[in-house]
Amino acid sequence: MHPILSEKRIFGLYLVVWLILGGLLALLLQSAAGVSPADAFVLAIPMALVYGFMCLASYYLCRAFPFQRYDVVRILIVHAISSALTSSLWVSIGRSWASLVSEISIFQNVEPRYSSEVPLLLTVGISTFLLSVAVNYSLIAFRDSREAERQAMQLQIHAQEAELRALRAQINPHFLFNSLNSISALTTADPSGARTMTLRLADFLRKSLSFGNKDFVAVRDEVDLATSFLEIEKVRFGPRLRVQVRIDEEAKNVLVPPLLLQPLVENAVGHGIAHLVEGGEISIAAARSGSRLRLSVENPCDPDGPRYRGHGIGIENVRSRLKTLFGPEARLETSNSPDRFRAEIELPAEDPLPATHVRQRMQV
Amino acid sequence: MSAIPPKITAIIVDDEELARTVVREHLDSHPEIEITAESANGFDAVKQISELKPDLLFLDIQMPKLNGFEVLELVEHTPAVIFVTAYDQYALKAFDVHAVDYLLKPFTRERFEEALKRALSRVGSTDSPVQDLVMEVRHQQQPLERILIKEGASVRVLPADTVDYVEAEDDYIAFHVSGKKHLKHQALSDLEQQLDPNRFVRIHRSYILNIDRISKLEPYSKDNRMAVLKDGTQLPVSRTGYDKLKGLL
Repeated sequence: MHPILSEKRIFGLYLVVWLILGGLLALLLQSAAGVSPADAFVLAIPMALVYGFMCLASYYLCRAFPFQRYDVVRILIVHAISSALTSSLWVSIGRSWASLVSEISIFQNVEPRYSSEVPLLLTVGISTFLLSVAVNYSLIAFRDSREAERQAMQLQIHAQEAELRALRAQINPHFLFNSLNSISALTTADPSGARTMTLRLADFLRKSLSFGNKDFVAVRDEVDLATSFLEIEKVRFGPRLRVQVRIDEEAKNVLVPPLLLQPLVENAVGHGIAHLVEGGEISIAAARSGSRLRLSVENPCDPDGPRYRGHGIGIENVRSRLKTLFGPEARLETSNSPDRFRAEIELPAEDPLPATHVRQRMQV
Repeated sequence: MSAIPPKITAIIVDDEELARTVVREHLDSHPEIEITAESANGFDAVKQISELKPDLLFLDIQMPKLNGFEVLELVEHTPAVIFVTAYDQYALKAFDVHAVDYLLKPFTRERFEEALKRALSRVGSTDSPVQDLVMEVRHQQQPLERILIKEGASVRVLPADTVDYVEAEDDYIAFHVSGKKHLKHQALSDLEQQLDPNRFVRIHRSYILNIDRISKLEPYSKDNRMAVLKDGTQLPVSRTGYDKLKGLL
């Protein structure tokens, strides 16, 4: 579709431009040929509007003969011929209009006057057509460069997503080796504990690997993965690690990008509980209010401990994923008092399978 | 009756009970080694090492309160050390550079025996590669965010930004924190290099000042000025000290 016709606003603007050109044509007829103002306007305005439509064709001509593929001489010839033809067609349409108008007694002078102005009108037609050609070439060039820019940006976003996909599927090596060490310790001290730990680790690895390939998971599953992780860490930290989970019923089935909670929970253990002699409680919460979902992880931390700069890569990672996926619609905020750390994600609450909902409603 | 050779004493430092269990189990087959203590955090470790002066130390790196390197920095007695860690890319490189003994969790009995044998050969030797390692790690962790001071057997942690000023006192330096004074055995010039140069300025041969605490500067004599702190304390400022302050304020 023609770019000017595809948008009402632009089409309106285009008509206004042609009305102005029509006014200018009327003034030209008055001053150059001594046509009376009324005659000039009744002739020029409709003719300008008609020519406005005819000049739309120059866009297709410009598309068909891009500068990159044809030499300048050929392009000039094409446009010279087409402007002459279009202009002649326009002048003859104008003549029919002039004779039609002359039927009305007050405009009876229009037709003879028109005939004497044909050369002027032909010139105006040719130059206006060539002008529209020039405008079209610049608009096309502008659009092409914008399109190239957009494609480059798209490419960048894809690359970012791929990178984040790889990152989020990564298992924290510190966690993995420490867990294996716990298993190694349990094999002699508590063989059935070693088996339980191995099974939990297998379960966690399976879940997180499967999450790496999904675009969305239910909040319930995301919390479930975080809980599996914490169950394993409980073996390592013993009574130092305590967990509280509070998930609202209406938040459970909401869909979220996978592995958003996991880095926050890892952070709570690594930068919080691991630095506390007596340990502490990690609270995980998910709540929905209307179309928004809030996920939060809170943990105690050591006020005298080393302050971690920027709260680690995990949190920055989640933040940049949210930005890529939701833009300004989602945010991750952290608050840091001397002895507590809290991370909260707020994002649009995506309902599961809207199609079935619609179907159910239709059946009712 | 032959004399019983003196036992080698060892301390295991790890915040995870299970991790300590593994080391203890491997040491079961070494009756010549006696485990005199186990500690689950950095503070306890400093206390026990200072009191019991073990020959051998199994030391985790990431622990509550103080990490393994900070523990070694604070104790005057340096035993033979075997670092025990799960994963720490930076530390591994440093271990290799300084030829320090270490074990990566989880480890095999063979690997354990190997590390133990090497560490035992160092027991009693005065030149330990560990001190160089500790120096390097300390250098890497600048600017200093927490100042660790050993007071008797316990450890005090001063966040760097709570320090008002530091004063040289013979072989010691005194940290002044809201009217209280904490002594540490260190050279002022050594500390000057560790602190954040944008916050702490050596204003005088004997003073380092936290620039947030300055209320005003007053002329004192021809070349010298006086810094008046927000709490009213007056400290001398030398000419070079004044030039440094001007650059920052």
